[in-house]
Amino acid sequence: MTDTTQTTSLLSGYRVLDLTSSMGALCGKLLRDLGMEVLKIEPPGGDPTRKEPPFAKGHAHGEGSLRFAYLNAGKRSATLDAAKPSGRKLLLDLVERADVVVEDFAPGQLAALGLGYEAMIERHKKLILVSVSGFGQDGPYAHFKTTDIVGNAMGGLLYISGDPKMTPCNPPETQSYYYASLFAAYGVTLALWQRETRGIGAWIDASIQASMALHEHVAFNYSAEGRIMKRAGSQHQHNAPANLFQCKNGWISLFVTQNHWPLLLKVWQDHDPALDDPKWINSNLRRQHADYINSQVTSFTSRFLKEDLAELMQKHGIPGLPVNSPSDFMRDPHIQARGFFAEVTHPVLGIFAQPGSPFMIDGKRGAPAPAPLLGQHNEEVFCREMGIDKARMDALVKEGVI
Amino acid sequence: MAEMEGLPSRFYTLHFTFCNLHWTERDFVLSANRILEGVRILAFTTGYAGPYAGRLLAGYGAEVIKIESKKGGLDTFRHYGQHKDIDAAPRFIECNLGVRSLAVNLKHPTGARLIRELAGKSDAVLENFRPRVLDKLGLGDDELRKANPKLVIVKLPGFGSEGPKSGYGTWGFNLTAFSGMTYLWNHPEQDRPIGSQGVYPDHLGFVMGPTLMVAALLNSRRTGKGLTVDLAQVEGTAYTLGTTYLETAVNGDDPKPKGNHYAVAAPHGCFACQGEDRWCVISVRDNNEWQSFCHVIGRPELVGDARFADPQSRLERRAELNALAQQWTQRRSAEEVMSKLQAVGVPAGVVQTGADLLKDQQLRHRNYFASFADSLIGPFEIPRSGILFQGMAEEPLRLPNRFGADNDQILGELLGYDHATIEQWRREEVLT
Repeated sequence: MTDTTQTTSLLSGYRVLDLTSSMGALCGKLLRDLGMEVLKIEPPGGDPTRKEPPFAKGHAHGEGSLRFAYLNAGKRSATLDAAKPSGRKLLLDLVERADVVVEDFAPGQLAALGLGYEAMIERHKKLILVSVSGFGQDGPYAHFKTTDIVGNAMGGLLYISGDPKMTPCNPPETQSYYYASLFAAYGVTLALWQRETRGIGAWIDASIQASMALHEHVAFNYSAEGRIMKRAGSQHQHNAPANLFQCKNGWISLFVTQNHWPLLLKVWQDHDPALDDPKWINSNLRRQHADYINSQVTSFTSRFLKEDLAELMQKHGIPGLPVNSPSDFMRDPHIQARGFFAEVTHPVLGIFAQPGSPFMIDGKRGAPAPAPLLGQHNEEVFCREMGIDKARMDALVKEGVI
Repeated sequence: MAEMEGLPSRFYTLHFTFCNLHWTERDFVLSANRILEGVRILAFTTGYAGPYAGRLLAGYGAEVIKIESKKGGLDTFRHYGQHKDIDAAPRFIECNLGVRSLAVNLKHPTGARLIRELAGKSDAVLENFRPRVLDKLGLGDDELRKANPKLVIVKLPGFGSEGPKSGYGTWGFNLTAFSGMTYLWNHPEQDRPIGSQGVYPDHLGFVMGPTLMVAALLNSRRTGKGLTVDLAQVEGTAYTLGTTYLETAVNGDDPKPKGNHYAVAAPHGCFACQGEDRWCVISVRDNNEWQSFCHVIGRPELVGDARFADPQSRLERRAELNALAQQWTQRRSAEEVMSKLQAVGVPAGVVQTGADLLKDQQLRHRNYFASFADSLIGPFEIPRSGILFQGMAEEPLRLPNRFGADNDQILGELLGYDHATIEQWRREEVLT
């Protein structure tokens, strides 16, 4: 390929208006990483995500939130008070220029401001609107309030997560928000394809609950087999050893299927000869006797450093990887060699390594960019792109619209 | 690609008005399940992420042809469970809904040649084999593109196609561990990591994979050139831990597990309710939610209590507040806790089991479950998708086609081989 911009930007040229706070923010981020130009519209006081921890040390303020910095990396920022009539008008002008609008307001809230789907398509017939919400735009729970843990609870992932003797344990960060946001982004690509082939716009309704409820076969297992999945710690439901095993300096994650079992016995030369019984090749049987299998395997794994054992396992074709801390992961030579983290410079946070796109196009990865400061692109957007003159701009700022 | 400009695939809905059965123009509704109609995708997939990515593309109308062989190339999920019939593994059915099946032995030179020919009549390839497995079979990117320069290729390898560990064998379970997620997915101060029994990275891969597929198809449609997209599933997982990595990159911290603690809410967590293993989660963020919470639990005097006056002071006393919530929930059903709190605008939700999901009225309202009255594993219901297209129709999903069921149609009608040739290949074990 000769043209770098073309190969690393799948969807360059498309414009996204991102009206989200934290719930739908990852959708706009992925669209940005796909090459679209994403403009974040924040209320004049800033997106509430800017007030969410963790903060950069010494910067517990609107420009120091690391959560905001990650979820909005590479977007532009303009401020607008959509509750004011002139703000509403400006927003609809922006809608007219956009291909995609992403929002995560409570269902009905945008419509109440005169900015619902109908108002938007009046200005732009082929608009793609994607709405991220806890439960969907309509239905008996549509008005329910959501946080991440509510999404994981109502979607069924929380019940099966954690040690069976303890309280169910929520995953790190806000995975249910992220997962629904990724589904929303899939909807956007489908809707763009539809616009190209059928010539129409779309309104995509992404539900956090519905996105989570297809995880881990929880619903399907119950429907097809009458089986209620329960918390099982780190023990996989179908295989053993498929768990975390103690090493000298931490833990290793092993996942041994039917094909890997004989390989494991070969590397583990002094295993109990009872394990050579061919009956143990059957994964279901090993899983039924997981406690026995796991304690046997631990007697082997506990002799090694986790990194050494992972290398040994992989050398013999057995899926094993160390249980890393986040910084272990960042330092890993493979991750380093692939350039997943790349340096960005942010006026407040400084120079640091930021995660990039999780994919490569023809062997090239798009460059990450820092998150915008609040209203950093006001002048660029309102004056240069929309042609608002200086006097009018000053008036809008004075009115508190921008 | 079948050109569909101006020719939307419409289907008609029947409407009953009292006793009259009639069609109306208003009822012409476009189907969301046909958005990708006319797109043909060859799938070399096994396990969870790759097949489910194919299923999500097929569910929106793409023709997904899964290529497998009994000569060492069967999807590993065909062996999960207690059955003998390779088409009757529940896990396989779940992940391959709507997918066609072509049984071709890729290790046979004729088999590989047929796939190259088929690539010439397809738009895309989806694969999640280990890197270079297809190259060794003469089915590398360049070989496949010889017959079709516009071919889009999307790969979902665990560790990516390049890099010192790209040859590693990984399952989603291992990738959770490697990314740091397993370590973080735990209650604070535990003596061992827990993480998850499941394979969260696969879920990320099977929604990001189709996204990249459609994005790449849009790109290829625009440029007239093919391209290869490489989604390393471990990086897909890391994509959801970005804030955590910034704590290390910017602050030099090594973040610890936080369990059910949430930095912007207190009380916050998962609370035991009446009944065996029944729980409800509660999140109290701002002062409005706090006031409503106090009234619902019958402690209105706490509203004016200076110790809990604002979110910051509540966060500092979160242990106390969580104990207060627990006292209230343990004498009530999880459903009562949720409905009482949601009625006054406090985020709360039952910790639902599989059985709860199947009877969830909101999911039912969304027509979330596709229903199969009969199948090789009996009747079942299964989630459709996290998204809905408002105002568009949804059609029933389809079961996977049986192993090799599409051989004759694909080789005969699509590639134009006669019956005798196909029969001969069957005898020569090219098709098996």
